[in-house]
Amino acid sequence: MNRGYTGKVLHINLSNGDSEIRQIPERVLEDYVGGKGLAAWLLFNSCAKRIDPLGPENPVIFAAGPLTGSNAPATRGVVVTCSPLTGLFVDSYYGGHFAQEIKYAGYDAIVLTGQAEAPVYLYIEDNEVQIRDADQLWGLDTFQTNGTIKKELADDTVKVASIGPAGENLVPFALVSCEYNRQAGRGGVGAVLGSKNLKAVAVKGGGTVGVNDRNAFFQAVNQARNELAADATCQELTRAGTASSLWFANEQGLLPVHNYQNGQFNPKGLAEDAQKDQFWLRDVGCASCPIRCSKIGVITSGKRSGTISDIVEYETAALMGVNLGLEDIREVAYLVNLCDALGLDGMSTGSVLGFAMECFEDGILNSSDYGQINLTFGSKEHLDIVIKQIAFRQGPLGRLLSQGTARAAQELGSNAEDKAVHVKRMDFPAWGPRGVPGMGLAYLTADRGACHQRAFPVGNEAGGEPWNGQQVERLAVKGKAEIVVQQQNYSASLDTLVKCDFGSFGISQESYIELYEAATGDAMCEGRLLAIGERIWNLTRLFNLRQGMSTEDEKLPQRCLEPLPDGPAQGHKFTKEDQQLMLQEYYEIRGWDNLGQPRQDKLIQLNIKEEVF
Amino acid sequence: MTKKIVADFSLCTGCAICLLACSERVTGGFNPRYALMRIENKMDGLVNEPILCSQCTNAYCQQVCPVNAIEVVNNDQVLKINQDKCNGCGLCEKYCPHDVIVIHDKRAAKCDLCDGEVRCVSQCPTGALQLVERGELHE
Repeated sequence: MNRGYTGKVLHINLSNGDSEIRQIPERVLEDYVGGKGLAAWLLFNSCAKRIDPLGPENPVIFAAGPLTGSNAPATRGVVVTCSPLTGLFVDSYYGGHFAQEIKYAGYDAIVLTGQAEAPVYLYIEDNEVQIRDADQLWGLDTFQTNGTIKKELADDTVKVASIGPAGENLVPFALVSCEYNRQAGRGGVGAVLGSKNLKAVAVKGGGTVGVNDRNAFFQAVNQARNELAADATCQELTRAGTASSLWFANEQGLLPVHNYQNGQFNPKGLAEDAQKDQFWLRDVGCASCPIRCSKIGVITSGKRSGTISDIVEYETAALMGVNLGLEDIREVAYLVNLCDALGLDGMSTGSVLGFAMECFEDGILNSSDYGQINLTFGSKEHLDIVIKQIAFRQGPLGRLLSQGTARAAQELGSNAEDKAVHVKRMDFPAWGPRGVPGMGLAYLTADRGACHQRAFPVGNEAGGEPWNGQQVERLAVKGKAEIVVQQQNYSASLDTLVKCDFGSFGISQESYIELYEAATGDAMCEGRLLAIGERIWNLTRLFNLRQGMSTEDEKLPQRCLEPLPDGPAQGHKFTKEDQQLMLQEYYEIRGWDNLGQPRQDKLIQLNIKEEVF
Repeated sequence: MTKKIVADFSLCTGCAICLLACSERVTGGFNPRYALMRIENKMDGLVNEPILCSQCTNAYCQQVCPVNAIEVVNNDQVLKINQDKCNGCGLCEKYCPHDVIVIHDKRAAKCDLCDGEVRCVSQCPTGALQLVERGELHE
């Protein structure tokens, strides 16, 4: 029977080379669907004890959802593991075409455990799993790896996910590069693959994804496409990608200027017009997505001439550009592309470089101790060299920064720790929260540490979007927990499908439900959908608590306690009391106790228990 | 043949909506691998080039078919594989220079312009694909 799902998980143990196809229990699909939900369940039940992120027991789970591989618009893939950056749950999403191929090969998820003795890559063609020698690939960048594997397999149609030198060298913010030019960027999944000596996963699928009710599905697809076409935010993404958010963030004082010291910085040199002028040639869309928010082109002037780059997204334009005081998009595009090639998360890399700049400025770091390298706000000098040193963990500065901002700061002492902008060791995304307190709570409570994609109350606080029909008081602290909880639950529920955040700006909840029902034949309603999101949120919480996280870790960095010097929320800061109030409100709404632990009745209500799979 | 689909690569985003629609018509399920066209990724992702059936006048697929299964239909407009005659030998697939014929369920399939309502063209979000009358481009 066609139902979107394949119902199967492929387990591969790299220690002994064994692989096994397991049927997913029906009740797991009912409670967790696919994507984030299925992967969180697989991670939680893979091991009853605390996991060492770089140990063989840590599973890397590439998961798809029931819509993945169909023509439902704006879906992505997810990879879930225990993060070497945070030591906690991490789910990292990627567009492109890799997740679809997992479905065509016959799986809802692929689970990788163990550790190969020597560098290998996986070739999965339907039921066949080959563990192939990767000596010739080790050391190659992600783009070279993709091309070399296709050449070796003599097949351009295989889809590849790979790591670069940063993943090989276990940099805890190493990414996974997914077919093509899309990255599962955050949380260091690339280092977990590196710890397994696994350079890449290549997949080729000969099966098809069928849906339960073809006519209803096509109708839902058309409806979702129409919603995307009619939505102003999605239209803007089609025109300018995420780059135009720089204007909004600047106006609202939310930019991460000079390591989050300020909130405003004229983004003219970095935003969409500059990108268009300097290198964009055409739009690029992920599988089955009409939005086409990505752009691609080639730099044809200056020192970085010849660099082929996709759009510099808002996050990286802000963290590698605004954050470092750079105004030439060609240099920023080159540096972000360098990160993609070396397999480094461009966001965390930008963050750790901004942190280093402030440390040099304040004399915490001295160039004489660091090979005469000096990083200065506004100067591009040495940045490319330091990025390479980080990826290869070379040189005193490269080795220091390759640990990530939080650990580097810890090594340098308390003055430096005051400048480390992270929650639970995950560097902040490019939305400064001092003028949008709800966003601060979102960072405090996101399952993977400071993350802007689990809840985004910025839209309500500074973007004028009403909440339950009411305007939201921007700087209020009280009442923000409800927004954050509901957005987290909704987002998690759709990440089971797996949705793209941008698609969800336009596609209505009704359409997602219709797509799910028509694809799977399973009836869905709003209540059940949100309960799925809430269940996932409690399960990842239990996982994080098992990993040793406590309420002590739920605090904003010192920078957020200093008054914001500019923008409409000038002078605003968080107090410790603000944070306490928001967290207590949050725990209460979630049904968690004062220590942030889910209460037993909540777990029973959501049917959450430890099991073995 | 009088009609064919042509592509403007500069408008192609690589989203594969065309391939998904086409593969669904061929197989009843989705997998771009079974589409009767394909998209090449070239120059490190700088280019996505759609490759389509040329609806050749002197078609190799038709000439190599040992059972004469590839027939001219719709008043000389398009070459179509007669599924009752096709024995799935794969020669047409092998000698198609564009690699846009696929074998599915032991039968060959080639682009027949959807018998009228051309899905890849109608669903392309950017207008990168167009159905043209032969000679139209040069007029």
